[in-house]
Amino acid sequence: MTDIVTGVAPARTSGRRIADLLIEYNFIAIFLVVVAIAAILSPNFLTPTNIANLFQQAAVVGVVAVGMTFVILTGNIDLSVGSVVALCGMLVAVLLAGGMPILPALAITILTGALAGAVIGLITALAEVPSFIVSLAGLVSFRGITYLLTDGVPVSGLPPSFGAISSTMVPVLPGLQVSSMGIIFVVLCIAAGALLRLTVFGESVYATGGNAEAARLSGLPTTRILVLVFTVSGIMSALAGILLTSRLRIGQPTAAQGLELDAIAAVVLGGTSLFGGRGGVLGTFFAVMLLQVLRNIFNLLGLGSFYQMTVTGLIIVAAILLNRFIDIRRGRA
Amino acid sequence: MTPDVLTIEGLSKRFPPSIIALDEANIAVRKGEVHCLLGANGAGKSTFLKLIAGALSPSAGKIHVDGKPVHFRAPAEAARAGISMIYQELDLVPQLTVAENLFLGHPPSRFGFLDKRSRRVQAREALARVGASFTPEDRVGSLSIANQQLTAIARSLTREAKVIIMDEPSAALNETELKAVFRVIRELTAQGVAILYVSHRLGELREIGDRVTVLRGGRTIETFDVEGTPDSALVEAILGRERGFVERRDRPPVTGEVILKVDRLTAAHGLDIREFELRRGEIAGLTGLNGSGRTSFLKALFGADPHEARMSLYGKPYKAKTPRDAIAAGVGLVPESRKTEGLILDAPIYRNATLPAMQGQFLARHGQLKAKTVPVLRQLSTKYGSPEQKVIQLSGGNQQKVVLAKWIIKGARLLLLDEPSRGLDIGAKADLYRLVDELAADGAAVIVASSELEELYAACDTIWVFHEGRNIARFDPATTDQDTILKHQILGDHHHD
Repeated sequence: MTDIVTGVAPARTSGRRIADLLIEYNFIAIFLVVVAIAAILSPNFLTPTNIANLFQQAAVVGVVAVGMTFVILTGNIDLSVGSVVALCGMLVAVLLAGGMPILPALAITILTGALAGAVIGLITALAEVPSFIVSLAGLVSFRGITYLLTDGVPVSGLPPSFGAISSTMVPVLPGLQVSSMGIIFVVLCIAAGALLRLTVFGESVYATGGNAEAARLSGLPTTRILVLVFTVSGIMSALAGILLTSRLRIGQPTAAQGLELDAIAAVVLGGTSLFGGRGGVLGTFFAVMLLQVLRNIFNLLGLGSFYQMTVTGLIIVAAILLNRFIDIRRGRA
Repeated sequence: MTPDVLTIEGLSKRFPPSIIALDEANIAVRKGEVHCLLGANGAGKSTFLKLIAGALSPSAGKIHVDGKPVHFRAPAEAARAGISMIYQELDLVPQLTVAENLFLGHPPSRFGFLDKRSRRVQAREALARVGASFTPEDRVGSLSIANQQLTAIARSLTREAKVIIMDEPSAALNETELKAVFRVIRELTAQGVAILYVSHRLGELREIGDRVTVLRGGRTIETFDVEGTPDSALVEAILGRERGFVERRDRPPVTGEVILKVDRLTAAHGLDIREFELRRGEIAGLTGLNGSGRTSFLKALFGADPHEARMSLYGKPYKAKTPRDAIAAGVGLVPESRKTEGLILDAPIYRNATLPAMQGQFLARHGQLKAKTVPVLRQLSTKYGSPEQKVIQLSGGNQQKVVLAKWIIKGARLLLLDEPSRGLDIGAKADLYRLVDELAADGAAVIVASSELEELYAACDTIWVFHEGRNIARFDPATTDQDTILKHQILGDHHHD
């Protein structure tokens, strides 16, 4: 351990600083490299339509991954998110098809998602059971409830104005229009980032994940924090479910299977530590977009999904090894 | 005369560059005797035991078992030679059965297959020898601590131990349980097994010991026959005569009103504190052997451990069910382990330092938090680069100052410091106690628990001696010499200044 002289920051060359920034935000660098390669490989990649598509397609998993970031920052995991997306997507469809106006239907759906998350958080925190197993039970049960809603039958006949939630095109730059779904994803990222970085709740999330005992002995309400992060994850899953149903124009009980794994992969790829205490939404955002770009470029090149899966796995492993390597280097420095 | 089963000559252990943990220790353990090992904290007992059990290798010296020289490179080699160690925190696997534990690492086998029948039979024999009332099929996790202790002893027997080393077995046992263990020890010694028994407690030594060797400062001082040696001679051997001269800090007499009054506080493991009080501006030291209840008392006061209590703080009834309650009442704890309990190592200095203070607000105003942190760190003369630096990059002393800064920024009026100087060098220790002085002069009240009596002696207005979960004595260090306090630590006599 090093002693550093009072009040004087160690002098740093600008080259060293750039290197530090590159290491800190390596996921952005990787993202830009992949985008550059994609642009070279396919002339259709950097077109306004394709960029709008990227955001639209990334939104559902992206919103879920933002909620998952909170959970993983406390050193926990939420496997129930895919089922909560399906449950909330079906619930909103059933309510709307039953003639309920849009706003109350949305409110009930979001509340349901929050409740689902809170239950998992409460059991995890109060019974001191690993969240892995509690949320695994949630994954199974919530999917079961989803099927029970309509006996497994998809729900159609939704009002057209509900579809507008996801598909309204919003001009962001001259010549570039992004669907409202993509915009909602970006706005939620910014809101979540602000919550984590600018509020005491955010600080408490990092502190609890960094060292739960030290956080408790510093007077943090650790139980409440755990319940809240799972509630955030539940709300985000509900929003993702609403967006999904709005885009599909149909409530589909089999939707979002395995979504939890895509979300976890994105969070970890974005540099958030599975042990908690380190990471953030910025990394999650870029990781979600990176995975989407990969899928997109394979489609543009006409390569099948088998190639996609293989290469996606390899990229996740490479990124995680890179982060591990950086950690080790830092530890020694 | 009975032959020696274990003889040790000139055994030394040096940890480069300059630490001598054990310095030419000698001991001779006879067949079938209970040989006790006594010594104060830091006398070298643990190192000595680890060398004998093969967990450490010696820098110099000879070990003979049954007259034959041995060199252990691993605990398994010592076990094969007939030396068996029973650690204080028993190294049993709670999920496995007694029989599985007894033969862990050396299961009976035939043609490479586990021979369960023979394991069961041998396990029964070993359990019968220790007079166990449980069966080989019981899970170790379901047994009482005393029965786990017996399981550990039985395991030594399955390895045909000639010498069984027991490291403070009484720490986790109550009277009745200890009696049962003693009965087993007597039966084993009657069968020729030798026991090397480590304890702080002179009472136990009188009850079970044949001879006793005293360690002090890494040297074996003398071996006594237990019978015919008065306590005073043993205590003198433990303490020695060459005490370092400690200069007491010049402190004004404490005149503040009583702010903390504990009528009675009880908690798990026999913690029972009565009539403890603390005045405004007072620095009270808690001393006692390991396991005397210092840490448990501080944790209970801070609401970090469950407890029952009748006490008042600043004239109001005080009850802390959680650390949050304690903090709200103006209490702050610097925990024993700053790395696992005190700090979020990966987080920046200022976030650690303002963690308690920021609770209850909605926005984390980082600029403001840093502005609160910097002057306090300066007041503590902390050496650091910037408030955004991660605490893991600081030295131990400076990390401790960050933990202390948490409570200064929060404005705590009652500070509980648990081993605050552990791992600090002399300069950092002096800094720390100077700071405690300033806080007390400012009207805070401070309780410092430490295993270093000299530090307490130099810094405190009052020293409380804790013994087996009770506050048995209170001294004014200005009028009492250290030896008197040490004797109370060891013997557990009551005294109140």
